[in-house]
Amino acid sequence: MSLEDVHCKTEFSKGDAGAKMTAKDMLKITVNLVVIYIIGGLIIAFVYAKTSPIMFKKAEEEKKAALMTMIPEADKDGIQSIGKWEPHHKHAGYYVAKKGNEEIGYIIEGFGKGYSSYINVLVSVDKNFTVKKVSILHHAETPGLGDEIEKDYFLKRFENKSVDNLVVVKGETKDKVEAISGATISSRAVTEDAVRNGVKMLKEKLSIGVKDGSHS
Amino acid sequence: MAHIHKSNWELIKNGIFAENTIFRMAISLCPSIAVTNSLKNGFSMGVSVIFVQVMVNLTVSLIRNFVNPKIRIPIFMMVIAGYVSIIDMTMAAFARPVYKQIGLYIQLIVAFASIFARAEVFAVKNKVVSSFSDGLGMGIGFLLAMIIISFFRELFGRGALWGFPIVSGNPLLIMVLPAGGFFAVGLLMGFFNWVDMKLAERKGTSVS
Repeated sequence: MSLEDVHCKTEFSKGDAGAKMTAKDMLKITVNLVVIYIIGGLIIAFVYAKTSPIMFKKAEEEKKAALMTMIPEADKDGIQSIGKWEPHHKHAGYYVAKKGNEEIGYIIEGFGKGYSSYINVLVSVDKNFTVKKVSILHHAETPGLGDEIEKDYFLKRFENKSVDNLVVVKGETKDKVEAISGATISSRAVTEDAVRNGVKMLKEKLSIGVKDGSHS
Repeated sequence: MAHIHKSNWELIKNGIFAENTIFRMAISLCPSIAVTNSLKNGFSMGVSVIFVQVMVNLTVSLIRNFVNPKIRIPIFMMVIAGYVSIIDMTMAAFARPVYKQIGLYIQLIVAFASIFARAEVFAVKNKVVSSFSDGLGMGIGFLLAMIIISFFRELFGRGALWGFPIVSGNPLLIMVLPAGGFFAVGLLMGFFNWVDMKLAERKGTSVS
């Protein structure tokens, strides 16, 4: 008990040359602080109310535009969401692409665990689950090495690959996916994690066998 | 340090040259390394900082007579956090491509020593117009530093400027990585110190 008294005395003796704060002072300070924080909060809320609808609308438009480029033959409003999944605990969706009344393909959003970031991808497949196009939505891989995954020469390697061939190989290969030299981890994250798991997931979800009879 | 009796123009020049945030005061160096890997990013960050710096200085100076010194720190924080939130939300809605690159760093402006320092050292003790000039000078000095550092880093590290390819051939990749950022800032700081030395020699005054 006596030790606490000593501490309390030391606290009070610090501060403005011995002037103790009266209850009135503390009240004034508290009111001062609360008023400023309320005003600040209101201003921030006002700006949020004005800007966030615009922000969400633009994000939706961007997503729609990105999806449209994945399967260009689809109708303008022919891309519809058919489900959601959670690769690496992140929210992702998958879509069907329609032309007229016919389903011509699917688009899957996926995530892969890269070297220094989670890589967000879009994959479009045809009705046989053969890959048509891959595009990178977001990543933070190493500039000059991992960020080569954005380049066309790498993304082309996915065209017409089926699930079994979504395997990374160092060096030249005809039917598998050639790794980016110096960026094997990033290459694998895109190919074997993001793209392959996405296509596998869709296959299972739709439980549709492949048309020509072969199976994964 | 009570009233500072400098003209507004002198205050602006002070922020750009004598007390340049990055090259002289060497504070808020994190963004000078993180966001200067391309000219577009460095420029956008610099412009955002000008906005926050000027508005914070203005606001703090306007309310300086209503601020109890005991609670000035939480009050500065509210003002700074408020303006950073405003520019963050505005950018997210109206400048999305840039926001995707530097959005994370915009939110870190709340922790900038330079903004907090100017509020504490200048704005809370000086008139509104002077505080505005001081904030403007500091902001412009920061922007210029960002531009200079990004210019060299993107040119040598990617062979490009503002995304447009300028030189072909293998770039010095390290310049766009964090280590290169340190090198760039250090070398430029040394360069400006050397320039100062030479200018002082010519004038005949000694420099500390």
